[in-house]
Amino acid sequence: MAEYDLSKTIIPYLDRHLSFPLLAHLVETGVFPADEVQVAQYELAKGTNMFDYAASLFEQIYPNQEVPKGASQFEQKRVNAVSTHERLQQEAQAVLDVIENPDVAQALRQDKNHNLQYLKDNYNLTLDQITALYNFGKFQYSYGNYSGAADYLYHFRVLSTDPDLIISAQWGKLASDILTGKWDVALEELNSLREAIDSRTPAPFASVSSSTNNTPAVDPALSQLHSRTWLVHWSLFVYFNHPQGRALLLETFLSPTYLNTIQTSCPWILRYVAAAAIISSPTPTSKSSSAPQSSRVKNAVREVVKVIQMENYQYTDPITAFLMQLHVEFDFEAAQKELQKAEKVVSDDFFLGDFHDEFLESARCLVSEAYCRIHQRIDIGDLSDRLNLPRDEGEKWIVNLIRETRMGQDAKIDLEKNLIQISRPPQPVYQSVIEKTRGLAIRTQALGAAIARSGAAAAQAAPQSVEPVAVS
Amino acid sequence: MIQRQHNVSEPIPPFYIKTLLSLESALTSAIAKEKEAKKKMNATNAKALNSMKQKVRKASKEYEQDIAKYQADPEGFEREYTSLVTREAPATTSVTRTTGGIIDPDGNDGFQPVGKGGRTMLLTAEGIFKSLQSVQEARGKKNTDRGEQIKILEKLLELATTTYQRIRVLLALISSRFDYNSSASSHMPTELWVSAQNEVDQLVAIVASNPDYIVQETTEDYDDLAERSPATEKGGIVRIRGSIISFIDRLDDEFTRSLQNIDPHGTEYVERLKDEKTLYSTICRAQAFYEQTKQDDPLSRVIMRRLEHIYSKPDAVIQALESSAESADVNPYITLASKGSTSGLIHSLCVYLYRSGNSLHRTRAMLSHIYHYALLNDFHTARDMLLMSHLQESIHSADVATQILYNRTVVQLGLCAFRSGLIKESQATLLDIFTTQRVKELLAQGVHQQRYQVLTPEQEKAEKQRQLPFHMHINTELLEAAFLVSSMLVEIPLLASIDSEELKRKAISKPFRRLLDFADRQVFTGPPESTRDHIMQASKALQDGEWERCRDLIQSIKIWSLMPEAASVKEMLAKRIQEQGLRTYLFTYAPHYNTLSLSLLAQTFSLPLRSVTSIVSKMIWNEELAASLDQAGGCIAFHRTEVTRQQQLALTIAEKVNAMAEQNEKALDAKSGSSGGWGDRADGKTGEKRGEQVQERRGRGDRTRGGSRGGARGRGARFAQGLGNRMGHTSQRAG
Repeated sequence: MAEYDLSKTIIPYLDRHLSFPLLAHLVETGVFPADEVQVAQYELAKGTNMFDYAASLFEQIYPNQEVPKGASQFEQKRVNAVSTHERLQQEAQAVLDVIENPDVAQALRQDKNHNLQYLKDNYNLTLDQITALYNFGKFQYSYGNYSGAADYLYHFRVLSTDPDLIISAQWGKLASDILTGKWDVALEELNSLREAIDSRTPAPFASVSSSTNNTPAVDPALSQLHSRTWLVHWSLFVYFNHPQGRALLLETFLSPTYLNTIQTSCPWILRYVAAAAIISSPTPTSKSSSAPQSSRVKNAVREVVKVIQMENYQYTDPITAFLMQLHVEFDFEAAQKELQKAEKVVSDDFFLGDFHDEFLESARCLVSEAYCRIHQRIDIGDLSDRLNLPRDEGEKWIVNLIRETRMGQDAKIDLEKNLIQISRPPQPVYQSVIEKTRGLAIRTQALGAAIARSGAAAAQAAPQSVEPVAVS
Repeated sequence: MIQRQHNVSEPIPPFYIKTLLSLESALTSAIAKEKEAKKKMNATNAKALNSMKQKVRKASKEYEQDIAKYQADPEGFEREYTSLVTREAPATTSVTRTTGGIIDPDGNDGFQPVGKGGRTMLLTAEGIFKSLQSVQEARGKKNTDRGEQIKILEKLLELATTTYQRIRVLLALISSRFDYNSSASSHMPTELWVSAQNEVDQLVAIVASNPDYIVQETTEDYDDLAERSPATEKGGIVRIRGSIISFIDRLDDEFTRSLQNIDPHGTEYVERLKDEKTLYSTICRAQAFYEQTKQDDPLSRVIMRRLEHIYSKPDAVIQALESSAESADVNPYITLASKGSTSGLIHSLCVYLYRSGNSLHRTRAMLSHIYHYALLNDFHTARDMLLMSHLQESIHSADVATQILYNRTVVQLGLCAFRSGLIKESQATLLDIFTTQRVKELLAQGVHQQRYQVLTPEQEKAEKQRQLPFHMHINTELLEAAFLVSSMLVEIPLLASIDSEELKRKAISKPFRRLLDFADRQVFTGPPESTRDHIMQASKALQDGEWERCRDLIQSIKIWSLMPEAASVKEMLAKRIQEQGLRTYLFTYAPHYNTLSLSLLAQTFSLPLRSVTSIVSKMIWNEELAASLDQAGGCIAFHRTEVTRQQQLALTIAEKVNAMAEQNEKALDAKSGSSGGWGDRADGKTGEKRGEQVQERRGRGDRTRGGSRGGARGRGARFAQGLGNRMGHTSQRAG
C-alpha cells in the first residue's frame, strides 16, 4: 500500500512542525519501516528549537548509544534559545503591557495607521517594538509553544502595517491553530488568509520563496500559485477535522481558482476532493442530521468525476479510480475492486483515516444508486457482491436503503426470486417542461436588475431581450 | 571613375580634362553635322548622342574651374598635377595608372573590367582597403557586375594577411554574395550559397579565435583605409562594423527560399536538403561563439534559428543534424549529447528563449515546444502548455509567420490527439481549421485560389515567400482523413440519436455534414476511390449498423501508411468503430425493440459483454437512451414514450427559452466585462476555439485586405441564419 501513500508528496508543502503529526501517523500505520520514519522525525526535529523532543527521538532511534555529540550541541543551543527567549520576551512584554491596558484596547480602532499614531503618541510605542511581537511569536512557534505563538501573532497582526510580515504572521497563526487543534479559529484564519492571497496579486510568498529559490524576481502569478498550493495543503488539516469541513473543502477546492491550482501544481489533492465528495454525498443514515447543502456540494460527485476524468493522465489512485469506474466506465466489477483497495488507502491515510466508515457507507450508497438507476431487475446477491458485503448483511443493508431513501415507492423486493424490482415510471412531459423553465424568471429578473444598474444605454436593449422570456 | 577619384581625394588628372574638352568639341561638331544631314541618324544613335551630350555637359560643369584653367594654360596645369601626384604614395599612382587603362575615350563611365596589369599592383595592404572601398561604393549601383566584384573580393581574400584585413574582406565578400540576386523572387545559386556559408564559418572562426576583434553593428567612425590592430586601438579592442547574426539569418533565409523554389519532387531538392546539415552546424558554431562572448540578443536569435530547424523533425533527423554539428571544433553549451534526448535538447533551447526578454522569440519557442510535444504524442502536456500559454488570446495580433506556426501547432495537436485515440479532442481541434476550407493556405502550404478578386503581384509575392518548404509540410490529405474519420465517429451516433428534423440542423462538424449530404444525394455510387469516398461510404455503412464494412473501408485508406505507428492507429480505429457502431445501432433501432439481449449485442459487434454493458449503462446514465438493464434476464428493456406533437413543441420551447436566457446572461457578461475569464479548464477549451476563430478570421482579413467583404458576408449570413431560427420559433409560438 506504500505506493498510494501521499505523505511523501505532501510533506514538502507543509511546515516543519505540521509534518510531525503526519510522521507520527506513519509510525502507527506501519506502512513504512518504523525506524526509517523515526530517523525522518529526528532529522525534522533537529532543525527546530525543540531540543528535548529531538534528543528523545535520538534515544529512541539509537537506544544503545548515549546522546553523543548531539548532546553538547543541543545543550548549547538550548542555552542560546533560552537567552533569546528571555530577550524577546522582554521586548514583547513591553508592547503587551500597553496593549492589555483596557484604556488602550478601547482607544484602538479599525484604522491601523491611526492606531500606530495613537500608540506612539501616548505610549511611545514604535513599529520596531511591535515587530518584536512577531519575532517572539515566531520563536515560540519554533520551540513548540503553539498557543503562545498564536496569541502573539494575533496581536501583531492587529497592530502591524507591514503587509509581508502580516501575511507571514497569518501563516504562523494558522499553523499554530492547527497544531493546537482549535479548528474553529483555524478555519477563520484559513479564510482570512485565503482572502489575503486571492486579493493580493504580488503575492506574499515572494519574500519567502525568493530566499529559498534564489530567484530574486519571482513572477507574481507564480508566487500566488505557490501560496495557493501551500494553502491547499495546509487546509487539509482544518477541513478534515472541522465538523463542517468536508462541505467547505468542496466549496473551496471546486471553485475555479483552486481547482486550477490543484490541476496544475498538485493533482494528488484530487484524492481528498474525491473522498470528500464521496463522504458528503447523502446517505440514508446521515440524511436526517445534515444541514441543507449548497448546490456545489450536491453536485460535487459529478464535478469531481469530470475533473478526475480530465486529470486521469496525471494522477490516479484507488479512490479516484473507483469514481472513474463507477461514473465514467460504469464497470461495476472494476469499481468493486477499486473500492476494496480504496478502503485500505482511506484507513491508512492521515487525513481520511477517521472517516473510514463514513466513506465506505457513502461509497456503497453511490454504487447502489447508480446500479438502481440503470437496472430494472437486480439480483440481491449480485448487488451485495458489488457492495463488498456478505449476502445476509447485504440484504439487510439494501432493505434499509430502500426504506430510508426516496426509492421507497419504486423498488420492491421479490424475496422468492431474490430480486429487486425497480419500476421507474417515465417522467411526464409537463414535469420536464416545468423542470426546465424553473428558475428562469428569477434569472431574468436578476438580469434585468443588472442591466438597470449598468445604465441607460444597456437599458434600451433590455426590454427586447427580456420580453420573450417573461411571456413564457 | 571621376567619382572614385574624387572620393580618394585625388586631383583631377589633366588628361581627363583634355578628353572632356575634345569630346565636347567633337560633340558640337557632330550635332552641327547632324543638323545639316537632317534625320540621317537612327533613333538609338540620336538618343546616345543626346545622353552623351548631357553627360559631358554635366561633367564639364563640375570641373568648370579646372577646364578654364586648362584652357588657359594646358602645360601649367599638367605640371601642377604631376607635382601633386608625386607627393602621393606610390600606391595611389598605381591606382591612377589603373584608372588610366580603364578610361574610355567615349567618356562612358560604366565599370569596365580592371586590366590584369592593374590588378597585380594591388598587392600592398593599403591597396586592399582601397579596392575594397571601391567595390563597396559600386555596390547597389545599377550597372555593377556583381560576379566580377565577387571575383575581385575573392582575390583580395587570398591576399589579405592580417586578421583585420581578413575580417574586412570577409564581411564585404559575404554581403556581396548575398547581393548577387537582387530580385526577391528567385533564390541564390547553390554554389554561391555554399561558399557564403563557408565564409561565414571562417568569419565566425576568426572572430571567435581573436577576442581582440569585435564585429558590431554600430561602431564609432573609423578610417576605412587605415590598417588597424589591437595595439593601435584604445582599450586594445578593434571594433569593426558588420553583423554576423544578420549573415546567419540571411543564410538561413536563402536556404529556405531555395527550397521554396526548387521542385520538391526532383533529386535537386534532396541534394539541397543535404546542405541543411552544414547550415545547422554553422548555426551551432555561431551559437557557441555568442555563448563565449555572452551576447544575449544575437544568441537568442541564433538559438531561435536552431530551434526552427529541429522542432518539427523526428528524432532520427535531429540526431543526424546534431552529430554533424558535434563534429565541429567548437560546440555550443547545449547539445544533444549533453541533454541526452531530443526533447531534452528542445526543452533546454526553449527554456533559454523563455528566459530571454524578446516576447516574439518566447511565443515562437513556446509554439515550437508544443509542436514538438504533439509530435511525440504527448497530447496532455502539449494541450496544457497551449492552454496555459494563453496564446489564443493574443495570436491574432501576431505577425503572419507566427500565426502560421500557431496553425501548424494546433493542427499537429489535433493529429496527436487522433493518434492517441482521443477522437473527440481531435475532432474539436481540427474542426476550426477545416471550417474555413482553406487548410492549405492557413498552413502556408499552398496558395489559395481567390475566386472573387485577383491578388496584386506584391501580395502574391509575399504569399509565396511565406510558403513553407516542402519537407516541413503536414500532409493535408492525411489531415483531412484524420479529421473526417473523427468527425464520422462523433457525428454518426449523434445523427442517429436525434429524431426530430429541427435538431438535425445543428451539426457539430459542418464540413463533414456537407460531404455526407452530398454523398446522400448521389443516385449512383461507385466503388470508393479517394480518401473522401472511402470515408463517406464508411459513414453510410456505420449508419446502417454494418460496422465490419465500415472498418474495412476505413482501414483500406492508403494514406494511413504515412502516419507513424499506422498499425496501432488502425487498430484503435477499429475499436472505436465497434463502439460507435453499437451506439449508432442502439439509437437507430431502439424504437423497434422492446427488449434486446446483451449477449446478442456483444456477439454482433464482437465486443466483450462487459464493455457492451458498460456502454449501454453509460447511455442510460446520461439519459441518451430510455431503457434499463434487466440483470436477471441479461437484456435491455426499452421504455419508449411516445411524445405528441404538442408536447414536443412545448419541450422545444422550453429549451429555446432556456437558451435565450443563457444568451442574455452571456451578453450581459460580455458587456460588463466581468466574464469568468480563465478560471477553469472548461473555459479554457472554449476560449481556445474562440481564439482560433478570431485568429483565422484575422488571417483571412490579412490575406484579402480590401476584400474582407467575403468574410464579413459569411459571418453575416451565419448571424442571419440564427436570427431566422429565432424568428421562426417566435412565430411558431404565436401560432
